[in-house]
Amino acid sequence: MKAMTSLFQRRGRRDAEIAEKCTVQSKIVESVFSASSAPLRQKRFLVVLVSMMIGGAFAADAPKVQTEPVKGTPVAADFEAGKKLYRRWCSQCHGDAGKGDGPAAEFVYPRPRNFTTAIFKVRTTLSGQLPTDHDLFDVISKGLPGTAMPAWEKYLPENDRWQLVHYVKTFDELGLFKEEPAKEQVVVDAPPKITPELIAKGKDLYQKKKCWQCHGQQGRGDGPSAAGMKDEWGFPIRPVNFTKSWRFRGGDRLEDIYRTFTTGFNGTPMPSFVDAIPAAEDRWALAAFVKSLARLQKSGQVLKAGFIGGEIPTDPYAKAWEEAEPFDFPLAGQIIQEPRWFKPMHDVITVRALYNDREIAILLEWDDGTNNKGEGGKPPDQVGLQLPAGAAQDGGKPYFLLGDARHAVDLWRWNPAQGLSRATANGAAKEKPAEAGGVLAQGSYKDGQYRVILRRPLGKVSPGDTAIVPGEFMPIAFQLWDGDNGEEGMKMSLSTWYYLLPQPATPLTAYLWPSGLGFLALGGEVWLLRRMRRKDK
Amino acid sequence: MTRYTLYIAVALWLAILAGLKLLVRPPMPASVLMIYMTLSTLGILVFVAANEERFGNFIAPLRAVFEGRAPRLVQVLVLAGIPLLLAWGAWLRTAPSSDAPFEPRVVHPEPPASFALHGRRIETAGLKNPLRVPDAAQLEKNTAEGKVIYYRNCFFCHGDTLRGDGHFSGAFSPIPANFRDVGTISMLQESFVFWRVSTGGLGLPRSATPWNSAMPVWQTMLTEEEIWKAILYIYAGSGSTPRTWEEEPKK
Ligand code: HEC
Ligand code: HEC
Ligand code: HEC
Repeated sequence: MKAMTSLFQRRGRRDAEIAEKCTVQSKIVESVFSASSAPLRQKRFLVVLVSMMIGGAFAADAPKVQTEPVKGTPVAADFEAGKKLYRRWCSQCHGDAGKGDGPAAEFVYPRPRNFTTAIFKVRTTLSGQLPTDHDLFDVISKGLPGTAMPAWEKYLPENDRWQLVHYVKTFDELGLFKEEPAKEQVVVDAPPKITPELIAKGKDLYQKKKCWQCHGQQGRGDGPSAAGMKDEWGFPIRPVNFTKSWRFRGGDRLEDIYRTFTTGFNGTPMPSFVDAIPAAEDRWALAAFVKSLARLQKSGQVLKAGFIGGEIPTDPYAKAWEEAEPFDFPLAGQIIQEPRWFKPMHDVITVRALYNDREIAILLEWDDGTNNKGEGGKPPDQVGLQLPAGAAQDGGKPYFLLGDARHAVDLWRWNPAQGLSRATANGAAKEKPAEAGGVLAQGSYKDGQYRVILRRPLGKVSPGDTAIVPGEFMPIAFQLWDGDNGEEGMKMSLSTWYYLLPQPATPLTAYLWPSGLGFLALGGEVWLLRRMRRKDK
Repeated sequence: MTRYTLYIAVALWLAILAGLKLLVRPPMPASVLMIYMTLSTLGILVFVAANEERFGNFIAPLRAVFEGRAPRLVQVLVLAGIPLLLAWGAWLRTAPSSDAPFEPRVVHPEPPASFALHGRRIETAGLKNPLRVPDAAQLEKNTAEGKVIYYRNCFFCHGDTLRGDGHFSGAFSPIPANFRDVGTISMLQESFVFWRVSTGGLGLPRSATPWNSAMPVWQTMLTEEEIWKAILYIYAGSGSTPRTWEEEPKK
């Protein structure tokens, strides 16, 4: 990795050398390096996705996109002010010298950017070019969603953010910002109205232009080329899951998405599609399709289980499950007890629940671009559901992280290698395997998504069970592991306590009272009316 | 003016309801709201009934309806409205609710007289930050070291700018403390903060729902000195100062 970066710092290197060191090893990506005449900035980027898309000649120098001159920078640089701000707010991640090696750098994923090679993702400039000052200002203001990089507009006034733009540029070791500043930027017109036709057209292009090879058929980042990619800094990188639009680095507005794949993300396998999709209308259509894949999050404190007559389907794609109300529970890395896990892959789990007069079933649904079954030296993917083991005598609850000395938790886990396992725990190091008892599991993986059904009779079957009673709240918590990311044991994503509520059928008395009261009031009115009107006459 | 007594009373009642519902943060549980509204209703009725003329004005519009002097439409609306309103109120009470049970939580419980730290017992009373030294250069160095500790251990939850909005904060309930809020560390003594940081969520008494707090037990991961340094930084970084033993409680 060190060797890689220093490579970039040597300006006189040959293209062949770069091609050799190309970190993007995806099968479908074919790097094409134009001969020696192209300006440095265009050679600096390896990821020129071509063969499959245009299947022919590619002229790096002739952009097929409308550009306009770069806007001026409104605030003049004040080096000392910039330095002070940077040391206060940025260096803990990006490092005092801008090398992306601050004290917190090891503890976040993706890693904070190393500014010395001047490679930036979110830009309005053509692939391979430097960002404009306004681009840097925007990215500092809006942050990079889905990473630790905050949206500084929440905390710092505009003027300070401009000083930071100037200061970040001083780390550029190659002097590129001086020699080859961006002069032109891509024109992003007013976005078109999103119509079903536009989305359908985008869907077609998504197939034709093979976005699915990386991003997957359903856009969940599970394409055949998705696994094992690295970015230009040598770090693992995954294609974005389009259903999680809140993680789009460049923003999730239509014009943001359009800009992202028009200009590409420098330094990543995400290329510019200007050449492959020259017509702006087509790119807008694709942006509209990508946006249509976004799923809104619905969070709450209570997971409501609906009642159904008859059997609860074992097929997670069955109609009854599709109709059941989904709830999203946010997850964080387990950074509470050693070994801590700062770089979790999962940030949410979607849960539905159904019950009938005998049993309750919980459908856990989460996206994972890779289906790890515990092969290839990586642990299997896994999901866990946590309930209190037995009712607490003192009215308290077990500690949300695997219980505590006085309150045990009941853990149901499923992974694609071993299927169901069950355990009780009185804290992290105090876990004991338990009999499955009445708990059953079915799991499946399709299109980058796991769906696992865990079910159990309502009443107590084994000693560890707590009876689940319609109308009564049961604490529940969730845990997820991504094997591809090396997650196992305490290295996981987790939630705090929520509640599971089997929603009881509304009792008759619930209707009786209000109607009774209503009629009583009506009767009273009639009586009063009679009396008062009679008195009148 | 007096013609409007009923309307003013109703408007007042609605204003109180809206105020309690919209302005009180965090929202009060339904049962508490019920108590306040019952009291308000009684208060308004007592006030109205205290004076005979006022009472007369108050019920005048109702009389008009019942005696058939009001416009036909108003009569129908009022006569149909009263039973419906009552039925609806009753339904709100009997309809099965799926709101999470209300879990009261004491945010700043009384600290214990002493607590265990790395196998010793520490007296809470009179505990001072040994690294808050008068020597400015040394203090600055200690604080700078505290900053590094903070960004390797705490910022994921308590945030880059100490506002409690770090990138993992959204998954935790209760949410991580916002150190820039006047209701957190700036009204606490360093001894209290030291107790909280050392013993974390699990060290809280039952009234503070220890089972849900994601605040780690830092004595398992940091030395005593590191904890004091982190505390120096959370004050310096958020621009606040601890309450001292000499000082009276800040209001
Ligand atoms: C908590 C850690 C953290 C802090 C503090 C932080 N950043 Fe970042 N920053 C990141 C990460 C992580 C990335 C890279 C994300 C990626 O590559 O997807 C990044 C990327 C950037 C980028 C590159 C954006 C692009 O388009 O490629 C800029 C510019 C930047 N940060 C500026 C700043 C400035 C200015 C500050 C201080 C006000 C700051 N950062 C503070 C974590 C941080
Ligand atoms: C070679 C693999 C590859 C192909 C093909 C590909 N992408 Fe990507 N894409 C990526 C990667 C990797 C990222 C993540 C970049 C990052 O995290 O910084 C990404 C990110 C994105 C993003 C999100 C950017 C953001 O703001 O975070 C969008 C939108 C996107 N791609 C659209 C497309 C579209 C549309 C196509 C087809 C025209 C496509 N991609 C084809 C690899 C690919
Ligand atoms: C996993 C998330 C997490 C991490 C990491 C974390 N905290 Fe906390 N912290 C919380 C939560 C949640 C609360 C609020 C609940 C509570 O009071 O226990 C809290 C509360 C506090 C309080 C109490 C404030 C008050 O007003 O009572 C202090 C002080 C504190 N944290 C300091 C720290 C320090 C110092 C660190 C790093 C050494 C740290 N925290 C790391 C989650 C975290």
